[in-house]
Amino acid sequence: MKPGIGTLAIVGVAAVTAAVIGVMSGVVIGAHHDALVAQLTRSADQLSETIAGSTHHDMLENRRDAVHREIVTIGHQQGIEKVRLFNSAGRIMFSSDEAEIGHALDKNAEACYACHAAGRPLARLPIRARSRIWRAADGHRVLGVIRPIHNEPGCWQADCHAHTADEVVLGVLDVDLSMVDADRQLAHDRRQLTLLAVLAIAASSLMLWALSRALILRPVAALIASTRRVAQGDLTTVIPATAWTELGDLARAFNEMTRRLGEAQRQLTQADKLASVGRLAAGVAHEINNPLTGVLTYASFLEKRAGDDTEMRADLEVIVRETKRCRDIVRGLLDFARQTPPRRQPVDLNEVVRRAAGIVMNQLTLAHVGLDFDLATDLPPVPAEANQIQQVIVNLLLNAADAVAGQAGANGGRIRVHTAAVAVPPRGHALIHTAACPRGCDLLDPAVRIAGSPGIRVLRKVGERENLLRMDPVYGRANHQVPVPVEEGVIAGYLCPACRARLETDHRCERCDAPMFGVTTRDAGQVEWCTRAGCDGSRWESQDVRGPETYAEIVVADTGRGITPEEMQRLFEPFFTTKGTHGTGLGLAVTWGIVEGHGGSIEVTSEPGQGTRFTIRLPYRVSEPATDTAPAASGQTMPDARGIATSGPLGTRPPRTASATTGGGGGA
Amino acid sequence: MTSEPCDVLVVDDEPVVREAIRRVLAAEGLRVTTVPDAETALAHPALDRCRLVLCDLMLPGGSGLDVLAAVRLRRPGLPIVMISGYATTENAERVESAGATAFLPKPFDEEELRTLVRHALDTGVAAEEQKP
Repeated sequence: MKPGIGTLAIVGVAAVTAAVIGVMSGVVIGAHHDALVAQLTRSADQLSETIAGSTHHDMLENRRDAVHREIVTIGHQQGIEKVRLFNSAGRIMFSSDEAEIGHALDKNAEACYACHAAGRPLARLPIRARSRIWRAADGHRVLGVIRPIHNEPGCWQADCHAHTADEVVLGVLDVDLSMVDADRQLAHDRRQLTLLAVLAIAASSLMLWALSRALILRPVAALIASTRRVAQGDLTTVIPATAWTELGDLARAFNEMTRRLGEAQRQLTQADKLASVGRLAAGVAHEINNPLTGVLTYASFLEKRAGDDTEMRADLEVIVRETKRCRDIVRGLLDFARQTPPRRQPVDLNEVVRRAAGIVMNQLTLAHVGLDFDLATDLPPVPAEANQIQQVIVNLLLNAADAVAGQAGANGGRIRVHTAAVAVPPRGHALIHTAACPRGCDLLDPAVRIAGSPGIRVLRKVGERENLLRMDPVYGRANHQVPVPVEEGVIAGYLCPACRARLETDHRCERCDAPMFGVTTRDAGQVEWCTRAGCDGSRWESQDVRGPETYAEIVVADTGRGITPEEMQRLFEPFFTTKGTHGTGLGLAVTWGIVEGHGGSIEVTSEPGQGTRFTIRLPYRVSEPATDTAPAASGQTMPDARGIATSGPLGTRPPRTASATTGGGGGA
Repeated sequence: MTSEPCDVLVVDDEPVVREAIRRVLAAEGLRVTTVPDAETALAHPALDRCRLVLCDLMLPGGSGLDVLAAVRLRRPGLPIVMISGYATTENAERVESAGATAFLPKPFDEEELRTLVRHALDTGVAAEEQKP
């Protein structure tokens, strides 16, 4: 196994610690040694001064025995190695080691060297120069201090006349102290320091090991394991991003990456699935319609000829009805598979509505469903493909009929169809379809939708606290998703959650003059919001300049059972149906595809039990690509709507062809 | 066989469809000739005598649109109803712009077929009458 980061770090730190502690120990021990030697030297010097002082009179009065006794007595005291006195010729006159008395020493010997090295005796030396250390025969160290005894008038005037007046140094007192105790102390200190150093190295290594394990190895191991799982195709992998270090950021970035990969893969899979469904539908349609023709023709033929045999007629009627249901399913599949861009021509929407109503009228009458028209008389022709829009209206009418079928009351349920040309202001309606930070990170979050449309991710920073918000993608509406609210009036910082680029701009809020932050849309400039908590100020210059856009609006409203929030989430998904065997689950998916192909929008507001209202808006202006300007779902057209609004199939989308030729509506 | 009288020529590669159409129209008192492909249809003598052609859009060895074009050249006023399992708006428009009298998506029931054939025969009569 190759050495891990932890091992390498521990070895490195241990080496550095050892080096640092080694050098420190050397310095400390050296200082300690010097201090001990200096102390010992001072003691020796004091001792020699004491000896010199106490023998002074004996010398003057030439009491050699007394001097000898004194030197022997002192020399045999504990810690004192030897005390001796040389004369100026180097002969040992007195010594605690009586054996050497009378011997002469070479002036180059260790005790003499300090003074005589220069070739001539020196009279005065500092204490450092008078001391020396050497090893005795048994190996222990000895510190010697010499003291020159200078000539004084008393010396040459004494009766013994041992010295003449012109001598400078009469002799040398040499005091040797044993260093056994000092060395023992030093060795003890060295041992203790070494032990401490080893302990320090072990402790720091242990701490490093524990730290690297908790802060590096464990997160890295999790990261490696997760990367392997992702490599094996498991995109649901999430690393617990608990670390507050950069590895935590890495884990979070990793999670974000896998989430996006998963999202992309799901979308790809979905698109793939839908494309396969399309091909399958086309094949099935062709293959199954021939046998169905046989069944249907024979059965209806037989039914007609059954005459009075009512039982047989009834049975054949079932065959005919069910075969027709098969036919409808296959046609639905074909419609769904065939998502072609519209061939626009000026279309009278009212006429399309009437034709669509004509197609479903029989069914409505049978189900006792009333149909009311409220059609604008001055509706300008809208550029659209009449067949496709007719299909949309038929789908919505059939859904509405199913929703109100069986309702009590004299008239049963009612459906109201309304058309109008509406001027929609950008504020409260214009939908942001693309959003990027200054460095180009995509900020749209399809996983978190606000009223059906993907929210815009931004990171809000108040002090040290950071929270991920989703801004409402409808300009001028402020249903932002704020997980942790801050106190009103606080001005927060805003960052890109991916690259942490600052999002603040040069503009000030019109309402409160606070700084603004913004995101960039692909085609329609910058959208900005106020940084002050509680202020709904926003700014989207290109949209404000453009002013209201005119749309042809078709509303199909019913008084039926309504749509639950759960159903609403999946409303536009292919094969999602609430009608059981009665529906194919393709009607609204096809409807969505057609409206999106026209660059329009679908808005659904519904309250369970109160009915449902579909609002389709088709743009009059289709000449330029207007990716970011299609109107969004909004509550404004239905001010009392407390229900849910949505503007597209949630999470999935039918495959589109030649999207470059269609108008807006895409990009979400 | 060549002398057999014929009102409607049916061109479809699917035997069950041919037979179903034949049964329904025969019950209406129409004489029906059925052929399985474009080549046989164009070589069939019934083509010169019939009052109506019912032709599938997708045929082995050639598109129904080829039959349509060839018949239009030989008998410009003859009503031709195209039938197809590919009941798309595009196909309906293609067929109509190619000069077909009507488009009948599969599957159809007895009544739809009967009504359309009656209507097409009437159109054909009207067209013949307009001729000088």
